[in-house]
Amino acid sequence: MTNQELITKLKAIVSPYIQDEEAFKNLSEDTDFIKDLKINSANLVDIILDIEDEFDIRLENEDMEKMLDVKSAMAIVNTKLAG
Amino acid sequence: MVGNDIIDIAQAKKDSNWQRPQFLDKIFTINEHYLIHNSKDKTETIWRLWSMKEAAYKLYVQQNPSRFYAPKQFECFIENDTGIVKFKNFSSYTETKITSDYIISEASLKPSKLNSEVIQFNAPQINNQSEFLRQKLMSSASKQYNILEDELDFKKDDYGVPTLVFNGGTIHVSLTHHGNFGAFAIA
Repeated sequence: MTNQELITKLKAIVSPYIQDEEAFKNLSEDTDFIKDLKINSANLVDIILDIEDEFDIRLENEDMEKMLDVKSAMAIVNTKLAG
Repeated sequence: MVGNDIIDIAQAKKDSNWQRPQFLDKIFTINEHYLIHNSKDKTETIWRLWSMKEAAYKLYVQQNPSRFYAPKQFECFIENDTGIVKFKNFSSYTETKITSDYIISEASLKPSKLNSEVIQFNAPQINNQSEFLRQKLMSSASKQYNILEDELDFKKDDYGVPTLVFNGGTIHVSLTHHGNFGAFAIA
């Protein structure tokens, strides 16, 4: 999967939870889920569960800790898929 | 230092489905699962525990500048309205207030009364709720510390921790905002 394909999938996953349309339109690797997209912190759990379902992976506590922005989410998914 | 977190109960019902498989497992420890399952109102207990975890996290990052997402590792212990939240070597005391509309928790390093001021937003009149809340915080801090509002500067550091800065001093604060409710605490 290319980075672009991965970003597209992540964008679809976060879309139901975003509260800032403008930041969502401009979503990139540098986008922060909370600071930029204004996602409610309880909904980060939904995003984590959605990522697990979409990529058929399991995210542990240490993965969740870093799950605050697109770049980290991409790195975590890539590591899990490679493992 | 103080950390606070408010949950708009109606908004939480809209935003989150805690019955979703795995949802509770990602957030709560085994002991917290017992607290939830043994409580009369599971939804209320879930959001109470969540607000305690968030409030304690906000306090923790003031002492330990950092940013991370580890709700399950902030473990809650409760007794009536009072609670303790532990994370690694860090321990904080919490007070919670529950009404039919919102749940608010406040975390501090020593046992103390809840001092958050809660504000109900009137949506159509307020374009920017965060800005409105900040104004309320500034005016309250101005009175409490006897400093002109103009001399108070609102700052957020790289980790998102807010403070009020004035000539020669820093005031620790905490802000929270969810749905139709917001609150601020000064300490």
